[in-house]
Amino acid sequence: MEVVVSLALFGIFIFIIAQLTAQMFGYERRLPVNFMSHPQVGAVLSRLRRDVFDSTSYPDNFEIYTQTPQTLILDVVLPTGYQETVVWDFKTKGEAHRKAFSVGNMTSDWIARGVPDFSIKDFEIEEHPDSVRVQAIDSKGRLSVDQIYQPRRHGQT
Amino acid sequence: MRERGFTLIEVLVALVILTIVVTTSLAVFTERTRRLQQATETILAYQSLSNEAEIRRRIDFQQLDTASTTFISDTKILGPLTPYQTYVTVEDEAPDLKNVTMVIRWRGGQRSARLALTRADTGGSNLW
Repeated sequence: MEVVVSLALFGIFIFIIAQLTAQMFGYERRLPVNFMSHPQVGAVLSRLRRDVFDSTSYPDNFEIYTQTPQTLILDVVLPTGYQETVVWDFKTKGEAHRKAFSVGNMTSDWIARGVPDFSIKDFEIEEHPDSVRVQAIDSKGRLSVDQIYQPRRHGQT
Repeated sequence: MRERGFTLIEVLVALVILTIVVTTSLAVFTERTRRLQQATETILAYQSLSNEAEIRRRIDFQQLDTASTTFISDTKILGPLTPYQTYVTVEDEAPDLKNVTMVIRWRGGQRSARLALTRADTGGSNLW
């Protein structure tokens, strides 16, 4: 009798754990990349947003890079007033590369790993085609990032 | 002859301790899942809010009042929150200032996210 009661209690406990685990996996299936456990996704978005805010133009080409849905080239103005060229390269699956160049020399090369597949395209707001739309698809094909960034004014009127 | 074993009190105390441990573990597990889900939902909602803000900050100042009272931007990112509602209100702060408030509600209105934007009438709209 004692054994039966113990097994019954244990069975109830296991049943509850199984239910909660199934519920948790259900949420994970429904919701895209969990940014709480992928801080590099947030880092990519915040650095990219800042670069677009500070941009003054999008050159068609720079050194070996060309504007594509996986490559964004921007001329950005620095807080010092100087300008540098930033290349965002998303061609490597699961990685985001940010390379900054000043007077033709690479001044920084930052890499984020474990990120979803990013793509970038032009975005027009009110007939102004100077914005970009950044999207990312996670490993299960779900849209996990969809952000529109537009440059900010740089002192001109 | 008295047999060796546990007294009723000992068994009850053990059961109480076991119950507390199991209940606490389950509560922590459930709360963790709930908060993680809420955090993910909030991140999705704020992505959509910031997209809408980018568009509303570029609409001609004089047309802000007549623009749609729901989101103009693509809200595909909000798919996991379906069903959801979006609202946009525009209020005059001063003759050349308007407050634009964007709201998303989901889970039958139990959850919401809000972003406010103040627009100034600056004339032109060229950024570069």
